[in-house]
Amino acid sequence: MNATHDYDDLAGQYVLGTLPRAKRLEVDAELLENATLRAAVAFWEARLLPLTTLVEPSTPPASLWARIERSLGPAATLTSKPAPAARTGWWERLGLWRGLAAGGFAAAAVMAVVVGLRVNDLQQPHYMVVLAAPQNAAPGWVLKMTGATTLRLEPLVATAVPAQRALQLWTKADDWSGPVSLGLVKPGETVEVKLDKLPKIVPNQLFEITLEPEAGSPIGKPTGPILFIGRAVVI
Amino acid sequence: MTTAPDPFDYEAAIGACARGDRHALRRLYDQESPRLLGVALRIVRDRQSAEDVVHDAFVSIWTRASTFDATRGAGRGWMYTIVRHAALDAVRDGAREVGVDEDTLDALDADAFDPNMQDAFELRQDMGRLHECLTRLDPAKRNSILHAYVDGFSHSEIAERLKSPLGTVKAWIKRGMSALRECMV
Repeated sequence: MNATHDYDDLAGQYVLGTLPRAKRLEVDAELLENATLRAAVAFWEARLLPLTTLVEPSTPPASLWARIERSLGPAATLTSKPAPAARTGWWERLGLWRGLAAGGFAAAAVMAVVVGLRVNDLQQPHYMVVLAAPQNAAPGWVLKMTGATTLRLEPLVATAVPAQRALQLWTKADDWSGPVSLGLVKPGETVEVKLDKLPKIVPNQLFEITLEPEAGSPIGKPTGPILFIGRAVVI
Repeated sequence: MTTAPDPFDYEAAIGACARGDRHALRRLYDQESPRLLGVALRIVRDRQSAEDVVHDAFVSIWTRASTFDATRGAGRGWMYTIVRHAALDAVRDGAREVGVDEDTLDALDADAFDPNMQDAFELRQDMGRLHECLTRLDPAKRNSILHAYVDGFSHSEIAERLKSPLGTVKAWIKRGMSALRECMV
């Protein structure tokens, strides 16, 4: 006998799928903290797995992977493990932001060449952000510092915006609790952005453009999908 | 106790997902998605819903990869739990209860009750030790466990299917799982 036996019944029902949903979610939460319960669940997962061979496999359509990939956020690879996701808002979800640092940097390196930036005409540090579509990392906007507290947002592509919707620009440094609005943005138009009330930009600071109601998000936080996203890099 | 030796390293791929490597998620998808979709389809019985389940499950695998405990092993089993639970969420939201059409009802009626409690599932020799242990159970316990795992039936759905009282079905599953555990340790 060992300690996992205390959890055998619960773990068995969890893996079998016969727990009421609320109870199953409780177990999900406890699994994060309880190694003995994890072991009991792993026992049943491994032992019952052969039952999956009773079911005929079914090849998914090619579109399914594309759909999954779209839901993951930007296509990029982080070399370090991201911090655990807080549960306070969708903008802090793990999958959403992971990969942005490397992706933003790679895109920025490319864009610095493409748009022919003059990098020596301002006091250091000098940041740039390439805002890319989460689905395919295609650059859509570039954000450049034009002064200590001013930025210029320039479109690289035309952004289609549905009727009664608007684009809203947001930023969030790593230690902020949520994104802060930098105002509405018109598709295809350059806009000057003032940061005067905000702290100075820090490396890796996030910028994103979301699709919001025509007058902007009513709650002061992003409510719509992220259309473009990127992190500040020093150039 | 897997069905065949499999060189694919699920734990390593899940670990790579936790580090943000989406190619690793793609490898898991290529390796497992047809079987995962089959498992989801069996539970939700609707192809679009099953694809939704697999979509949600892979997003969960990606976001929950950092919580996977590699020391406990069984990365493949962990993935199936995520998919099966996502499928249960899809059907227990009420779709099955309120959405049963006539054809489904007919099918349920047609094979519902057999007084001699025939096996509802054709077991496979290649299930290894699990096959042996399941064959030692009486058919009522075996069918209850298989309906729960494979069909995603709740206690009450199994009771309905086996034309048996709810409490009896709960007892069958509890005792059946206990016997399985003793047999497979």
